[in-house]
Amino acid sequence: MMPAIYLEAIVLTLGVLLVLMEAFSNSEEKTPVAWLGIVGLTFVFILTFFTANDLSASPYSAFYHADFRAIFFKRFALLTTIVVLVLSIEYRGVVQKYVFGSRPQAGLGEFYALPVFTCAGLMWMASAVDFIMIFVSLELVTISFYILVAYMRRNAGSLEAGVKYLILSALSTGFFVYGITWIYGVTGQTSLEKIGAILLGLKVSHGPLLFGFMLVLTGLGFKIACAPFQIWVPDVYQGAPTPVTAFLSVGSKAAGFIVLMRVAEVFLPVPWINHKAVTILVALAALSLLYGNLAAMPQHNLKRLMAYSSIAHAGYILIAVACIGSRYANIAVSFYLAGYLLMTLLTFLVMAAVANQAGGDDIVHFNGLGKRSPYLAFAMLAAMASLAGIPLTVGFFGKFLIFYVAYEKGQFLLMGIGVLTVAAGFYYYFKVVRAMYWKEPADDTPVRTSPLTGATIAALAFCIFFLGVYPAPVIRALEGPPSDNPRLLAR
Amino acid sequence: MNLNDYLAVSGLLFAIGFAGVMLRRNIIIIFMCLELMLNAANLSLVAFSRFHVSAAGLPDYNGQMLVFFIITVAAAEVAVGLAVIVSLYRARRTTHVEDITSMKF
Repeated sequence: MMPAIYLEAIVLTLGVLLVLMEAFSNSEEKTPVAWLGIVGLTFVFILTFFTANDLSASPYSAFYHADFRAIFFKRFALLTTIVVLVLSIEYRGVVQKYVFGSRPQAGLGEFYALPVFTCAGLMWMASAVDFIMIFVSLELVTISFYILVAYMRRNAGSLEAGVKYLILSALSTGFFVYGITWIYGVTGQTSLEKIGAILLGLKVSHGPLLFGFMLVLTGLGFKIACAPFQIWVPDVYQGAPTPVTAFLSVGSKAAGFIVLMRVAEVFLPVPWINHKAVTILVALAALSLLYGNLAAMPQHNLKRLMAYSSIAHAGYILIAVACIGSRYANIAVSFYLAGYLLMTLLTFLVMAAVANQAGGDDIVHFNGLGKRSPYLAFAMLAAMASLAGIPLTVGFFGKFLIFYVAYEKGQFLLMGIGVLTVAAGFYYYFKVVRAMYWKEPADDTPVRTSPLTGATIAALAFCIFFLGVYPAPVIRALEGPPSDNPRLLAR
Repeated sequence: MNLNDYLAVSGLLFAIGFAGVMLRRNIIIIFMCLELMLNAANLSLVAFSRFHVSAAGLPDYNGQMLVFFIITVAAAEVAVGLAVIVSLYRARRTTHVEDITSMKF
């Protein structure tokens, strides 16, 4: 059994190794850098099953927790990064076109190495229980994303997305830090655990603390892409390179949510904060659901559609966050994110393969995919069905858990909005399905994919159905050993 | 000078920074205003730390630790941010926000 803190150290070492490999190898071919990254991250993923979950033994326990949820989100970050690297290999032609260098593949090495550093940041964030640690790991992720979003520096769209992301993300950091300042000022602590203990005592001033909490919430709202902090999302998603968009929509959102959960679990049990905070979370959830789902309807670019869908999904997850205190709120959030990982990454993988051939990622480019390459079309169908929440897919079970938690807490308004917007979701996800199966293709050539991409697509599609029918493995990983917790499945 | 004076100055800095981000149209100026917001946080952190005196008469160093991290992160952010802005300028010959609206609904 190995302490969990080594995992991040290994990932970071791997990242440095990749950068060195790209700098000192004589070979013109940069794809081995990505291969080494994939192999290394898979190795770390296997290592997560052999790490100790012991909290008290670690000397770092004041700012680093390795509980079941943290390990779960570390695996989540690793899996996301592995798929993003696969996607980057598939997408390398486009990046090459927009990054000029002395050699044909110059600049591709860093494109493969940076996600590994981001992954280390995401893994630290999963474990961070101190505001200093949260801030530093959050910034490690954000600053790597600044570079990745603007990576194609001869492409106006990518640069524009990069600048927009830079300004709005830095603004959210400003809010977040100022919020931390006020919480620290009132409680005199930066550790979440100690802040919680002080808040439950009665002698704190309410106004400044609420002010700080709201600012922290604003900062995190940007990260999880919920309305009304969503203005950056559509443009950045559309302009950024496709692998980075996938990484942003899954990794950045998941990391934002785990920090939000940890912060909310400290603040929401305090009686005089509870009803105010819950009201705000409910409002954010309702706004995101309505805005995301309604604005997605008229979209004809699939990347932009996924951006609005990402806002909508943030709304669904926020329903469960607003219900913290229910036994399963935690599980509902994590399970939904796990499902979101599968279906979103699958969508982006198919999109990258199709866009490579068709030269664009509008929905029109998917016309007749069912005839051209039935296998890819079926994978896309699985992803869309799951995003819409059709039974027997992982998306359905995620939404079911969320609505169950809302029902338990009596959030009937949110349940109503949620069910209505699911119906709206059917409309725009099935626009893609309709294009694939009911429209005539512009040309009949099948879409080519590399074996690696094909295998990843198959694995993700399989998991969508498997976890939709039999979600127990994920839930068990979240709950820990059956003796500690009430079992959801035993009921 | 008591704690409130420091907090007032810090609040003012934060407000100026935020107003600048919202109102100015030059990306470089917007970026400066963002740094101003981070420095507002630094000032109030140091002030809080200085006025949270422990029983031994020492200030509470947690806050000052965070200040060091904020300064480091802000430096990294400027390094990357300016590079992005420079490459935007090379591609588009502009640093005005009105000119970078190629993506719309």
